[in-house]
Amino acid sequence: MITFGNQILYATLVVSAIALLGLLLKEFKKSEIFSKFVTPAILLSAGLLTFAYLLLTYYFAVSDFTYEYVWEYSSTDLPMIYKLSGTWAGQPGTYLLWVWVIFLSSAWLAITTKHSTPLERRTQIITLIIGIYFIVLTLIQTPFKSIYELPNIADMIARGDLPANFVPAAGNGLNALLVNIWMILHPPLMFIGYAGMTIPFAAAIVYLITKDEGWEELGRQWARFTWLILGMGIAVGGVWAYFILGWGGFWAWDPVETASFIPWLTLTGYLHAAALHRKNKNTFAIATPMLSAVSFILIIYAAIVVRSGLFNSVHAFGEASTGTLLLLSIGLTTLVSLGLGIKRYFEEAETAEEDRGFWNKTNVFYITLLMFVVLAFISFWGITYPVFIQITQGLKVNVASDTKNFFNVWSYPFTLILLLALGFCLNYKEPEKEKQKKTLFIVAALTILTMLPRTDNFYVLDHNSPFWVREPGIYKLIGSISVLSIFPPLIYVTASVIEYLNGYMSSTNLRVRIKGIGMTMIHIAVVLIIFGSVVSSIRTTSIERINIPIGAQGQIFDVGDGYGIRVLELSSRSLTESSSAGGTKISDVLSNPGGFSGENIQVKGKVVEVLKTQTETPPITYTAYIRLDDGTGSIWAATQSAEPISIEEGSTRSAKGFLMSQFKSSSINRTFDLVIFSRPDDVGEAAGTESGNYNVQSVKLEVYQGNNKIGSGTAEYLQGKGGSGTFPMVSPSLGLLAGDVYVIFQGTGGGSIPLTLKIIPAVDLAWIGIILFAVGIILIMSAKTKARGTG
Amino acid sequence: MKTKKLTTIFVLILILAIAVGTYNISLSDFRLSDSNYSYLAGLTWYRSAPGLEKGFEQASLENKPIAVYFWAIWCQYCAKFQSDTLGNPQVKKILQDDYVLVAMDLDIDRDVSGKYGVSYPPYVLFLDSKGNVIERVAGAVDAGTFLPIVTQVRDQVRSK
Repeated sequence: MITFGNQILYATLVVSAIALLGLLLKEFKKSEIFSKFVTPAILLSAGLLTFAYLLLTYYFAVSDFTYEYVWEYSSTDLPMIYKLSGTWAGQPGTYLLWVWVIFLSSAWLAITTKHSTPLERRTQIITLIIGIYFIVLTLIQTPFKSIYELPNIADMIARGDLPANFVPAAGNGLNALLVNIWMILHPPLMFIGYAGMTIPFAAAIVYLITKDEGWEELGRQWARFTWLILGMGIAVGGVWAYFILGWGGFWAWDPVETASFIPWLTLTGYLHAAALHRKNKNTFAIATPMLSAVSFILIIYAAIVVRSGLFNSVHAFGEASTGTLLLLSIGLTTLVSLGLGIKRYFEEAETAEEDRGFWNKTNVFYITLLMFVVLAFISFWGITYPVFIQITQGLKVNVASDTKNFFNVWSYPFTLILLLALGFCLNYKEPEKEKQKKTLFIVAALTILTMLPRTDNFYVLDHNSPFWVREPGIYKLIGSISVLSIFPPLIYVTASVIEYLNGYMSSTNLRVRIKGIGMTMIHIAVVLIIFGSVVSSIRTTSIERINIPIGAQGQIFDVGDGYGIRVLELSSRSLTESSSAGGTKISDVLSNPGGFSGENIQVKGKVVEVLKTQTETPPITYTAYIRLDDGTGSIWAATQSAEPISIEEGSTRSAKGFLMSQFKSSSINRTFDLVIFSRPDDVGEAAGTESGNYNVQSVKLEVYQGNNKIGSGTAEYLQGKGGSGTFPMVSPSLGLLAGDVYVIFQGTGGGSIPLTLKIIPAVDLAWIGIILFAVGIILIMSAKTKARGTG
Repeated sequence: MKTKKLTTIFVLILILAIAVGTYNISLSDFRLSDSNYSYLAGLTWYRSAPGLEKGFEQASLENKPIAVYFWAIWCQYCAKFQSDTLGNPQVKKILQDDYVLVAMDLDIDRDVSGKYGVSYPPYVLFLDSKGNVIERVAGAVDAGTFLPIVTQVRDQVRSK
């Protein structure tokens, strides 16, 4: 039986195919038969997908565990907001979100353009093809899969081990790392950003095929929107890493964050190329659409990296079965884009502009574009080739002794060149060319000179790190460049940006001035972010493996380097609702079983009896019946798994699940009066006084330097499904430049409180930069100006 | 146009050089796998689930405890844990002489890690030859913490 949600998806498939058919008939047969259905069909598809998404949200809201996806990613004891964010916690839900946004943008295209020009119609055709492809992907990995379709559940029902209307009592729950506000925001931002790139890509492909004009304008706002949303998604990921994951930094070249950063870089290149292309359509006539196409391809690549599990990453939350289809689409789009680009290159060759020597704006600007491509390539290569080697040769390799060194070493020189080119291009004026060249040469010379000083470990790579000695020669060479060399280019860019702003502010047109302010903000943000990330990553003081005895609470504990930490209070609590998390007395269940039927109950006790059984024919399922005694009485609990279950008598366990009476097991030929059915994960080793799925330990502390208190706050440690999360104490008490006092707490163990103390400077500048990025691009988007130079 | 073409070609060659160079550097200097994981703190380990089975055999023959080390390539604390804790001369000697060693790559040996409830590296699990968990050490503890545990677990198994 097809579930209601899937019926909607199939309906969308049919309706959107009608729209596509209408457009194709018009395009190739000049037939108008279906034309009047096109826009309504697209709107209906968008509406159906909106409804599908709301439906999924509803299933999560009411915890309908008859859907596998809800069962997998939600839990009755989670607060409502986390239940809802479960909709995008896994691959199936994110596909639905992705396809929904594609169709929203398709609907936007239909409403605003009515497909009146060939360009708009053709762009819609490609958008719909991509949209339909994603509906198929969503159907393959559908969030609307019923649990009764799962083979093991179906088997158990067929054997009579489960009632036909079996509903799991409790969901699996959300990964502990995802239980926080930033993770509610991060995935939807990323996937909305991914989807937003569809129209700029479609328009670019149409342009490459047909040379239809106006393509850049059609996709412009979407490209900016994608740049904003994707950028914010990456930034929120950084915030999460800094405040939740306890990386002690916001960027660690994790494969997945890097994967999303790559299309963002090429998209940045695209926006720059487009700025010149729209003034003169012969400028970057191939580079601009190619950058758009490459960004789209890299977005799909990012989606593969996020979910494939091939890339070793903190993001390995799930594995995709649709990976091959995504790979296929990458291969196809790459071939098409490359082929079209090359074809256009040979067509274009004759109509080329004449060569005006090296020093002109287009050429230096072109270097800027190339630098974006080079930086994107370095990131791409660094996450890709270890996986390539692993697949082709079965070998695991690392990119450098310390992974981040690869990216830092190779990115650094090109970042310098990019900054120099940026400073030069911002104010380029033909008459002042010679003077501007001279300034550039002086700054470049200063940059090279400042690479040389032997400073106190202020180098591209950390010379004190244990990894330093193991790096190869080329890494040591670049790694020994003094980071002082970042300052001449940064100052140069800052000065250029100020001059650039003056130029814009002299305009009388308000829109032009708003746009100028927006662009200034973005370029100042570049300076702030680069400054903040370089200084914070190089100048961080770190004291690791501090173990404060639990008994030493209240005293200042010397942790070395002149720092001290005073632990004020250690406490623990359960994050989830206490009603179901607290556990029920077994005597209460025995005295009134009827009151608990159909409810999610949890009991805890000593295992006094274990019966194990397994099916004899494959698929082999192992079942364990355990009798738990909590002192007030004893009750049976049962759990099943595809793997052998190891539960010993005498251990303390908790069982959580669905209460059943008069349960007859044919395999061990016994009838149980009452039995609690649990998922294997829910038959946990019960730990001390804690209870519930998500437990938080928090430690309130103060940090001292000498006798001065420099920071205070609470560091927390969350343990739950799928691992643990550390919520470090972040106290921005040292000011803008001196930075944050940052303490990571790893959860008590062995009678002590393990902590890591970091003093992280200048990191706030990066946060300010990110905010400027967002405000800047929003200003530019709001000051929409008509394209100049084109008809 | 000529300038652009030249710069493009130059950059393409540069990219290619970096790509080929880093690829080869990784293959020669940063190989993380060989047949016995001997790179892990200079000790010789059995690997993966079949290795654990062999480990159980050897452990019951020689009456030794098993130390199962869960690690991952991307885990920087593991590198530190290997060099400072496992690589500590006293710890290393005890592990070498009195233990059966099994290494589990968390990215590959997910079944084993799931079975024993290990979700993050570095993580050391001490088992007896029947597979019972004697002790768990989670995280990159220092040698000062680790040494008493390896000593105690060894003595506990010997005294049985």
